[in-house]
Amino acid sequence: MQKLRQQFELALRNFWRGFRQWSGDSAYETYLACAQRQKATKPLSRTEFYVEQLNRKYSRPNRCC
Amino acid sequence: MKRLLQTLIWTAVAVLGAVALGTIAFHRGEPINATWFVLAAACSYLVAYRLYSAFIAAKLLALDNTRATPAERRDDGRDFVPTNKWVLFGHHFAAIAGPGPLVGPTLAAQFGYLPGTLWLIAGAAFAGCVQDFVILFCSIRRDGKTLGEMARDEVSKRGGLIAQLAVLTIMIILLAVVALVVVNALKSSPWATFTLAMTIPIALLLGVYLRYFRPGRVLEASLIGVALVLFVVVAGQWVADSPSLAKVFTLGGVTLAFAIIAYGFAASALPVWLLLAPRDYLSAFIKAGAIFSLAAGILLVRPQVLMPPLTRFVDGTGPVFAGKIFPFCFITIACGAISGFHSLISSGTTPKMIQREGHARFIGYGAMLLESFVGVMAMVAACAMTPGVYFAINSPASIVGATPEAAAATISSWGYPLSGGTMTGLAHAVGEQTLLNRAGGAPSLAVGMAQIFSSTIGGDRLLSIWYHFAIMFEALFILTVLDAGTRVGRFMIQELGGRVWKPMGRMNWMPGILLSSAIIVGAWGYFLYQGVVDPLGGINSLWPLFGISNQLLAAVALVVATTILLKMGRLKWIWVTLLPMAWLVIITMTASYQKIFSANSRIGFLAQANALAAQIAAGKIAAAKIADTQRVIFNLRLDAAVTAVLAVMILVLLVEALVQWYAILIRTKEPVMQETPYVATQWAEAD
Repeated sequence: MQKLRQQFELALRNFWRGFRQWSGDSAYETYLACAQRQKATKPLSRTEFYVEQLNRKYSRPNRCC
Repeated sequence: MKRLLQTLIWTAVAVLGAVALGTIAFHRGEPINATWFVLAAACSYLVAYRLYSAFIAAKLLALDNTRATPAERRDDGRDFVPTNKWVLFGHHFAAIAGPGPLVGPTLAAQFGYLPGTLWLIAGAAFAGCVQDFVILFCSIRRDGKTLGEMARDEVSKRGGLIAQLAVLTIMIILLAVVALVVVNALKSSPWATFTLAMTIPIALLLGVYLRYFRPGRVLEASLIGVALVLFVVVAGQWVADSPSLAKVFTLGGVTLAFAIIAYGFAASALPVWLLLAPRDYLSAFIKAGAIFSLAAGILLVRPQVLMPPLTRFVDGTGPVFAGKIFPFCFITIACGAISGFHSLISSGTTPKMIQREGHARFIGYGAMLLESFVGVMAMVAACAMTPGVYFAINSPASIVGATPEAAAATISSWGYPLSGGTMTGLAHAVGEQTLLNRAGGAPSLAVGMAQIFSSTIGGDRLLSIWYHFAIMFEALFILTVLDAGTRVGRFMIQELGGRVWKPMGRMNWMPGILLSSAIIVGAWGYFLYQGVVDPLGGINSLWPLFGISNQLLAAVALVVATTILLKMGRLKWIWVTLLPMAWLVIITMTASYQKIFSANSRIGFLAQANALAAQIAAGKIAAAKIADTQRVIFNLRLDAAVTAVLAVMILVLLVEALVQWYAILIRTKEPVMQETPYVATQWAEAD
């Protein structure tokens, strides 16, 4: 029973993580993790990253008919 | 043993699919249950995915999971982000699924449910999914290059320019036609107009919240936004019930068109975080919710499909749009079967985020199958209403008449019984003054969705709320396409303009931003205005033009894909992309020819222009209307010219490609591929 509960919790956690990724909610965390891996000297702030990311995203076709 | 069990299961799925397809194809007389459509589509998709996509992945593309993808090699946390395949599937699906798979099948339902349903299923499996999958693969192997860049590198410089121009042209036509769908949905509807208007201040509020108070907290902002949007859907009823407020929000087509043009300009010129992005977040959540609700509703209610398999309008005399099944069914349903626009998504964002080459099958082929399923559901929703009601909503006044009684008499005479009281009662039940002459597909889809939703929750009491929820959902994400498309169009014009005059190419130069925004908005705004004042309702001319341009872009994508595959030495399996490409060239060339030269004035642009010119010459047009008629004549000739230009563009690209193919096949030219060199993946497991 406990194993089932653990599996359920794991599935929920994975779903939540995926949902945040899909919606863009965790984009800054992903960016920071990447910046850390690459030892970037001065990563963008949350606000700077948000605006920069939007400007990039909406400069190319990203929504279809 | 396991293998035997798998074979048995897949055989059962294939047999069930064949039975369901046979049932919907050969059923005559009585209404048929929608469950057969769901079964036919789902089983066909499963079999196509299991067999055909696996064949393409293994034989044609030879996907290689040991090869590092651009996301792994260039991981920067911004553009190149390795993403879980399920999450990326969701991203890709949200990007490709727009209003097209909802509106196209709804319009094509005038032929009956059969032609559109078969084209949705077969077109997706053998053409649309193939295009999305192969272009995604090609772009992954080229560091996420765009379709235009691949056309330039692999076909010719001219090919690249043609692809770029084709994208800009389709963008202009697409934006005009989707804006027209919104105008026709909001016309004389204070409830719907108020609801949609309120989404603008809601988006601005979210924009400020996400920029200054909680930067990038998309989920919490979207939750607030969705709650506010649902509130304004309900509040719209109070506006409609208030005589003074209802007057403010009751707008005609021309006023609405100018309001949308002004909105498009603002969305293009304002900072992206203020209006465009928050509206996109709102739209994504509501779109996902509404599509899943529609699927669940159809499965729960299992409505009867009342539209016959084939209507009398297969002969080309349809009131919604003129033209026979071939080629017009195949260009009316673009998204849902095959859409060239998808190739821009498959060669833009997605290839930069994919973790493994092997995921391209699930994301490229699989997401398109899901979009096709959305198209089948839209077809069911449209065909579940009484045929008479369907034709009354979707036919222009010039064909069926402007009053419920006149429309009922005309439509009943076609063999689809309808009383004027039915239309008045239905309009009253959904909280509208009238549902007549709402060409564009959105209102009839909203009626179908509302009927399905209200059968699940709320009954007739909530019919009006569901109807306006459906209208808001359609209009909201159409406007998202409109503002995102206008902005991208602006960038294209700035880029092209920058080649002529340098400052124009500077993306943050305000005069350049304003000028390019005005050019792109002026271009689609002109076609929108033309559609609004068109005596045949606009959809009759603009939707085929959109379908032709979208399918031509698909042909461009398949030409590029075929060229690359030939260079890879995959001659044996080249028919996988060559056949859908040939089919698209045939249907678009036939449709283009008919739209330009058909002697039938309801089909041919020139024939209609000449007929109107003859009426003026014969003095049959009142003096007060001569100027308007001359404008209509000019617009028809312009539409003919645009269609011809589109057709010439694809022919030029095709000739360029044929020359390349010939040189490769007779080996006079060593194929030069622009593929990035092989780098082995550093990730442990290749799943």
